[in-house]
Amino acid sequence: MSTETPATPQAAAFDPYAPAPPATRRHFLYRLNPLAKLAAIVPAIVVLVFVRDLATPLAFGALAYLVLLIGARIGVRTALLLAALPAGVAVLGVGFSLWVDAGGVDDTAVVWRIGGWTMYSGALAIGYATALRLGAIFALSLVPGLTTTGPDLVRSLVQQLRVPYRIGYTAMAAFRFVPRFRYELEVIRSAHRVRGAHGGRGPFAAVARWMGYVVPLLAGAIRHAERVALAMEARAFGAYPTRTERYPVPFRARDVVFIVVLWLVSAGVLVWGYPWQLG
Amino acid sequence: MSSADPAGAAASAAASAPVLRVRALSVTHEGADAATPSAVTFDVAPGEVVLLLGPSGSGKSTLALTLNGLIPHAIVADVEGTVQVTGLTASDTPVATLSTHVGMVFQDPDAQLVTGTILDEVAFGLENLRVPADEIMRRAETALRRVGLWERRAENPDRLSGGGRQRLAIACALAMGSSLLVLDEPTANLDPTGIEDVYAALADIRGEQAVVLIEHNLDVAVGHVDRVVVLDGAGRLVMDGPVDLLRDRAVELLELGVWLPTATLAALRLRAAGYPLAPLPLTAAELRASLDATPAPTVAARATAAGEVRRPTPADPLIRVRGLTVRRGRKTILHDIALDVRRGDFLAVVGANGAGKTTLVQAIAGVVPPPRGRIRVGPGLDPGRASADELARHIGFVFQNPEHQFIAHTVYDELAHGLRDVPDARPRVEEMLARFGLTGKEDVHPFLLSGGQKRRLSVGTALIAGARILALDEPTFGQDRERADELLGILDDLHRAGATVIVVTHDMQLVAEHATHMAVLAEGRLIAHGTTDDVFADRAVIDAAGLRLPPLAEAFAGIRSHPELDGVVRLHDLPEATA
Repeated sequence: MSTETPATPQAAAFDPYAPAPPATRRHFLYRLNPLAKLAAIVPAIVVLVFVRDLATPLAFGALAYLVLLIGARIGVRTALLLAALPAGVAVLGVGFSLWVDAGGVDDTAVVWRIGGWTMYSGALAIGYATALRLGAIFALSLVPGLTTTGPDLVRSLVQQLRVPYRIGYTAMAAFRFVPRFRYELEVIRSAHRVRGAHGGRGPFAAVARWMGYVVPLLAGAIRHAERVALAMEARAFGAYPTRTERYPVPFRARDVVFIVVLWLVSAGVLVWGYPWQLG
Repeated sequence: MSSADPAGAAASAAASAPVLRVRALSVTHEGADAATPSAVTFDVAPGEVVLLLGPSGSGKSTLALTLNGLIPHAIVADVEGTVQVTGLTASDTPVATLSTHVGMVFQDPDAQLVTGTILDEVAFGLENLRVPADEIMRRAETALRRVGLWERRAENPDRLSGGGRQRLAIACALAMGSSLLVLDEPTANLDPTGIEDVYAALADIRGEQAVVLIEHNLDVAVGHVDRVVVLDGAGRLVMDGPVDLLRDRAVELLELGVWLPTATLAALRLRAAGYPLAPLPLTAAELRASLDATPAPTVAARATAAGEVRRPTPADPLIRVRGLTVRRGRKTILHDIALDVRRGDFLAVVGANGAGKTTLVQAIAGVVPPPRGRIRVGPGLDPGRASADELARHIGFVFQNPEHQFIAHTVYDELAHGLRDVPDARPRVEEMLARFGLTGKEDVHPFLLSGGQKRRLSVGTALIAGARILALDEPTFGQDRERADELLGILDDLHRAGATVIVVTHDMQLVAEHATHMAVLAEGRLIAHGTTDDVFADRAVIDAAGLRLPPLAEAFAGIRSHPELDGVVRLHDLPEATA
């Protein structure tokens, strides 16, 4: 496989350049500027880091789902992801509850008792508050995440935030390296394994083993990057301070409206949920 | 061109003026003692296709990089003399300006892709030049239609074959409006179908575009070339003339270390054996035509019985594969393979890209452990169960890139690693060092060796634990001819000494010259396995697998005028020189 079409099989599974699905009028999220979608959710995410109650993250999670269900095209994959997230939060909540120091919550009701170990309702509440916060942050980040392509984000960074295009488009070209390096790493690993470079089990041996992969991987990466750089330069990359933009990613009135609406709703939720502590 | 009159005059002058003018060009890389190329002077006229030949180290690729100014603008080197492209001096014109005059196509198709769709890829260079968007679309469409990729413009370039990606690279250069196209080993990473793909695209633009081509596989290239420029080992210009130079001065070129088309090499040999072939042919078709017009030599020359002494083959196979099916994810890569390899075979595993060749050989060598009980190596080793050490004593695997398999910090340790259970490894390591010309390099880091030394070291490490079977994955891929020949010489020596060799390859002439047996895979199934001669005689199998006959098989298959040559596929099976 090594010579033949490296990177192809993996790239088919994950294509960072894949175009967004065709947007209809209803699926408005695809027609918004990527930066607007980011700006709209950032304040909510920042506040979520600090809240401690159950209701506020739940409300933000519901808000994210509402926006996605209205504004995004829900395919099978998206539907599965949206269904799996609450389940993940449920499992994570129990996990976090086990971590909670029982000493601080032993005045709350006992939920269950197994031998000498007691689960207090306070611990469960704290555990679920934490899991819900993570879940809500994740759900909010799906709003831009599911409806924005990598190239569009780069374009809006270049067009609106004036990030130098040399940086933005080089980063985009670097996406191509990912499947190639993943493939190369696989080859190196099997090459080392066949040479008997196991070095035993356990974390230290694993670290030593991975260090052994780094040198050949880096040597290959540097050589590849040099070639790509030459090929880009041969095609006039970086010739002028700007370049033709065939895909304008405009920042329109509707982007402002979206930001303002989401900020207002976020503010409403925050006021409603104040002081964001467990009762 | 604003006013009509001077523009017309300029155009008529430009028609005769060379597109490329190289004058006394010498390039010395940092840290190099001598300049290669050295004082080279030549011109390329509009629409002319020039093949640049020379032994490795003669500076062909360096010369290519000076043509669009990457040397000295991006790669620092000491440049003397001048390069002028359509009147612009390369050393003091920015690369960006030159990019509209010189298009480059490099060897590695992957390293030239930067965007997400075929259309964006062609537009990339034009966007950098701030060409207006509607103009970009117009030029991109024209360029993509020229190479037959317009219909696929919305696809990710990853989905193109290697040959398709090189056609895309050509389209990118065409869209920039360049009047000179420079291709540096454009087919070295491609399978036979991909090579034909690239030359078909070049044939389409023949005559409209000046081309400088660097290529070591002359069998296909020679039909697409108007002129050859030849450098010697020191980078000096030794020949510049029409493509017939390859016939007229073939012996001289061979002595320089320049590779010739296989048909020409065969004709040289036949001529020595008394066949009055003149002029020398360059292609299989020409060879056949001139043989048809040539009487058999008066001295009764006949093909030597077979290239090598046929050893009596032991009945019991050394490697036995039965019912091997390999799945990766939902995809079945190999379907129910049954294959026997006998001791002393030199087996070539061939097939189109994605046919499962590498997977098969990796399974046999245990690189990717196969399902248990499907493969037996030697008396009773199952690569599906065996430990790496056990495997290493029976079968050595050489990866395509030697760097991937180096695990130690010195050449000595690299070899000694395979002998870590042996009490006194030193004599065996030293023997191996001497055998592969690495004596004196014991303390060097493997990554600091030259390309050829790395390759030899990787073969040494595969053999040192006592393996008598050597498996190699595309050992000549992307290498220049000399280095490939050196490795093939090593393999022939090992094979003569009794080792069993398994090679995955695309290079049909390599198969013809070196392999005793061939296994042909198509879409994960073994569609033929037999001696090289038998498989090459079966045209249907070769076509079904998407392969091409090697040039000699093409020239000699069923030849009536010279029955003694019928079915010959190897150069060394041709009649010996009459003393």
